[in-house]
This record gives sequence, C-alpha cells and structure tokens, in this order.
Amino acid sequence: MALLTRAEVEDFLYHEAALLDEWKTMEWAELFTDDGEYLVPPMDIPDADKSAALFIINDDHHRLVQRAKRLTRRTAHVEFPHSKVRHTIHNVRILEQDDTSLKVASNQIVYRAKRQNLDTFVCHVIYQLVRSGDGLRIRSKRVMLDIDGLRPHGMVSAIL
Amino acid sequence: MNKPLEPGLGFGGTHYIRIDPQRSEFLVPRWAFTDQAVLDKEREEIFARCWLYVGHASEIPKAGDFVARKVGGRQLFLWRGDDNQPRVYFNTCTHRGAMVCREKQGNAKRLTCPYHGWTFDTRGGMVEQPGASGFPDDFFANGAKDLISPAKVEAYRDFVFVNFDPKAVDLTTYLAGAAEFLDLVADQGQHGMEVTPGEQAYSMRANWKLLYENSADGYHAITAHASYFDYLRATVGVFREDFDPHDVGGGGKSLGNGHAVIEYQAPWGRPVAQWVPQWGDSGKEEVARVQAELASRLGEQRADRIANWNRNILIFPNLIINDIMGLTIRSFQPITPGYLEVTAWSLAPRGEHPEMRAWRQYNFNEFLGPAGFATPDDVEMLELCQQAYQNMPEVGWNDISKGMNRPENNQGDDEVQMRSFWIRWDELMGASR
Repeated sequence: MALLTRAEVEDFLYHEAALLDEWKTMEWAELFTDDGEYLVPPMDIPDADKSAALFIINDDHHRLVQRAKRLTRRTAHVEFPHSKVRHTIHNVRILEQDDTSLKVASNQIVYRAKRQNLDTFVCHVIYQLVRSGDGLRIRSKRVMLDIDGLRPHGMVSAIL
Repeated sequence: MNKPLEPGLGFGGTHYIRIDPQRSEFLVPRWAFTDQAVLDKEREEIFARCWLYVGHASEIPKAGDFVARKVGGRQLFLWRGDDNQPRVYFNTCTHRGAMVCREKQGNAKRLTCPYHGWTFDTRGGMVEQPGASGFPDDFFANGAKDLISPAKVEAYRDFVFVNFDPKAVDLTTYLAGAAEFLDLVADQGQHGMEVTPGEQAYSMRANWKLLYENSADGYHAITAHASYFDYLRATVGVFREDFDPHDVGGGGKSLGNGHAVIEYQAPWGRPVAQWVPQWGDSGKEEVARVQAELASRLGEQRADRIANWNRNILIFPNLIINDIMGLTIRSFQPITPGYLEVTAWSLAPRGEHPEMRAWRQYNFNEFLGPAGFATPDDVEMLELCQQAYQNMPEVGWNDISKGMNRPENNQGDDEVQMRSFWIRWDELMGASR
C-alpha cells in the first residue's frame, strides 16, 4: 500500500474539523478507533502521563463518545445554544508512517464565540492515526494548549 | 447601576444584606456583584485581613523548591528553605521591584533579580548585591533589604495560608469549625497527602462571590448537572450498586467565620473509599484495603465518615476543598467585579496505589475542571447570573433563604452555606474603623 501524502492527511484533518465546526459531534466520535482516546494534558506539563497527572481532558473511548453525546443535548447548558466554533489547521507534518499507521503533528487555532466573547485556543495536536477500510481513524488525539491558562476562556466546552 | 456603598441600608442589624427571620427571607443586593467600589472595599476588608490559601507543603517537598502564584491579587512565592522551613515572599525585588521568581516552579538555592543582580537566599536574606560601594556600609544591615514576607504565614495540616494583617488571629482560631473538615481530608492518607502534578488554571466571567456560593450548592445538582447524571447512568458501573437516592442525607452547616460545609452521600465512586464496578476486581480489593487501613488507624466511625461521605468545604473567603469523586483544592480571586481567576489541583494520599491514582485522576475529570461534564455548566450558570446583574438595576436582589424555615433540619440542598458567607461578608464590609 502506498504511503499517504500530507495532502491526504490534511483532507482527513479538515474533515474532522468541519464535523466539529458543524457540531456533528457523534460523527466526530465515529472517527475514533474502539480504543481511541482524546487527551488534553495539563498546560504546565504537556508530556504528562495521564495515569499520574491531572489532565484537562482524559477521555477513553467511552468518555469521548459520551462527551460527543452530551453536546447534542440542551442539558449541556454551557453549550446551549451552541457557541460558534471554527478550527483552523496549519503546520501539518507526518512525523512517522508505515503501512498501517501514522503519527501526525499539526498546529490548530480553535476560535469559540459566545455572548460577544471570542476565545482563542492555541493548540499543538499530535494524532496517532490508523488506516482502515473506511479511511483514516484516530487512535489518539492529544491536544497541547500553548496558552498560559484558560484565561479568559474559562473552559473547554466545545471539542478542540 | 454603580451604587455607592451606604451603610445602614440593611434590615435586621445588617449593613447591606437584608434578613427578615419572621418571613424567612434573606436578600443580597445584586450591586455587590458588579460594583467596583464594593471590590475595592473587599480588597481592604476581606483580602487584606483574612487568611488566604497559598499552597500545599507537598508542592515544595525539598529544600530549595519553590512555587510562584498570585494570592489575593498579589504575586507571591512559596519557597522551602535550606533549613526545610517553608516561607512565603512577595515576589518583588526590594530594590526597584522586578519579580525575582520568574518560573512557576522549580528549585533554587538563591534567586537573583535579573535587573540589577540583587541576590537572595532561601531565607530571604540579601547575600549578593553588585555595586555595594554606592551604598552606606550599614545599608543592608539587619536584613533591611531582605525579601519581604506577608505579615503572617501559617500552615494547618500542610495547607499553607498567609494573612497580610499583622493583627489577624492565628490560623487555627480563624478556621473555627472548618478545621474538623480539613482534618477529615488530611487524615485520608496514611503517609500524608500530596498535590498531584498538573494544575488547572482557568477563569470565570463572574464575580468571585458567585463561585463561593456555587461550590457547596446542593440545590442545583439535579438541574444544572442533569447531563452529568446522564453520563453516570450511561457509564456501566460508575453508580454504586448499593446506593439509595433516599440516603443522600447530610446537610449544610455553618462553621463560623463565614466557613461552611455540605456533607452528604452520593452515587459516584470515591477513591477514598467507595468502589464502583468500573474499577473492576483489582479496584475493589484496593478500596477494601484502604477502608481497612482507615479503620485500623482512625477507628470504624471516623473511617466510615471519611470513606462513605462527601464534603464540599468552603473556607472564607476564597478556598474550596471538594472531597467528592475526586479531591480538589480550588482557590480563586477577583480580578474585576465581573471576572475571577481560579486554580484547581487534585489532592491525593501519598503512596496511593498507582492503579487507584489513575482512577482518581480519571474520575476527577468526569465532573470537575474546565472540561468536565459538570464544572463548565457551573461556570455558565455564574456567567448567566453576572450577565443579568450587569445592567438591570430594576431587579436588585438575590434571595438565598432556602431552608430558613427549618433551621433545625438543614438539608444539603438548602442555602445556609451561602447565608454563612454573606453574614460574614456583611460584618467585614460594614465594620467601621
């Protein structure tokens, strides 16, 4: 099987971002493998180990699906009504690749707007992707926040 | 909307709040959340006179370790001396003021101000200073230019506090009835407690007092956190199978000096120490071991209280310790009337079994923190309130009277915790000097 090009990987990342920007959170969750994880490590320790440190997001597959589901309901008050979200993706690099999997780095800026506040999340995202019959799937999405604190953001309520 | 502070508007012996016991009514003026004059006065009467949490001794385990953070609006750092004594300093050079401790945490035998090279040791002493010939011989004598510490620094069970008022009562007296609850937290670890790596620094577009009110509010759980309970239901094995909702029990209590607590039972797992099926058989064994250890060290009754009851502990004015599905220290401070900064940590027994530590950290995030399934909804609630307070002076009062009609039987979802805060706030804000 031919190795993937950066453009093909970018297509996948753009597709993931579009799902999130359109609040199609359940379809986003389906992009993950059954052992998929979504992690946001602590801002002061980007290479932290989730079994020891306190993360901001530490979702195994079950929880990332539940996170997606929660955001489809009005009872997720912080995102009712949904804020406006827009992901922009840059600096995509394929760090490693073999026949079945890839490690990809990207920089992403995620904008969130609600009640006249615009919050900017500066992210460095490392993906572990696997190739499947249905295309690429995410085994791990690790989002490192390149900000000092969630100030004035206050929260990560949308999916980064 | 900017209402100048006018003492004497209160009713029933108060200054700004209104209490009518006959009607079981307790009202708080909404301008208390929006007015700059109120915040200015709070800085003088509350933040400059009350004990404020700085950090936990476990954050600076070795001589030379330091952590730097903002406390009560001031840049401080906590530094363990070469004599093993923890000290707190204002993070400012005694020369011309630059911040001398520029890293959030680290280890140093000395700190050198980058501006003109003034150098201080771990006891705050000035030890090197280029250009001595430009100063009289006795200029630095008797520690005259040593780093300056807050008036009082004391620790209770490894929780380190400062007070900027030299006339303040000692910490243990100040803690009053809250000390008992800090003990119930500190006693959880056979070898003491430690703050785990990973700090959550976030904020809220809301007045700092709203966070105090929210942090021990049982009343909002079912509505504001409906989606969290949906998550628990959908997640195989995170409900304790033996939990009966009628057993929530407990209630709210005022602890003196503005402190308060709610203590109750809940369906989630507690690392110390209530098992849920999600943690599997090895988790079950470890939880049983922890329960047995607690009982042998503290006796059955105390062990049961620690293991099976949750506590949301409020320490006036700005420290929350929530002992729930995780154990969190949450400290916050006002930046403007409509914006606060908050920092939270996960506290755990030292030497905790690695598997239980992993479950603890995982558990923490299901509810707590800026991306949990509950805290962001709390932030939203507070921001919705603040937004409403900003520009509707025609609607002037909050009602926090729930449970005033049954003071002998306070429920966990009553509002006595909030009333404790406001009574103390009113005393401090109305005091004439």
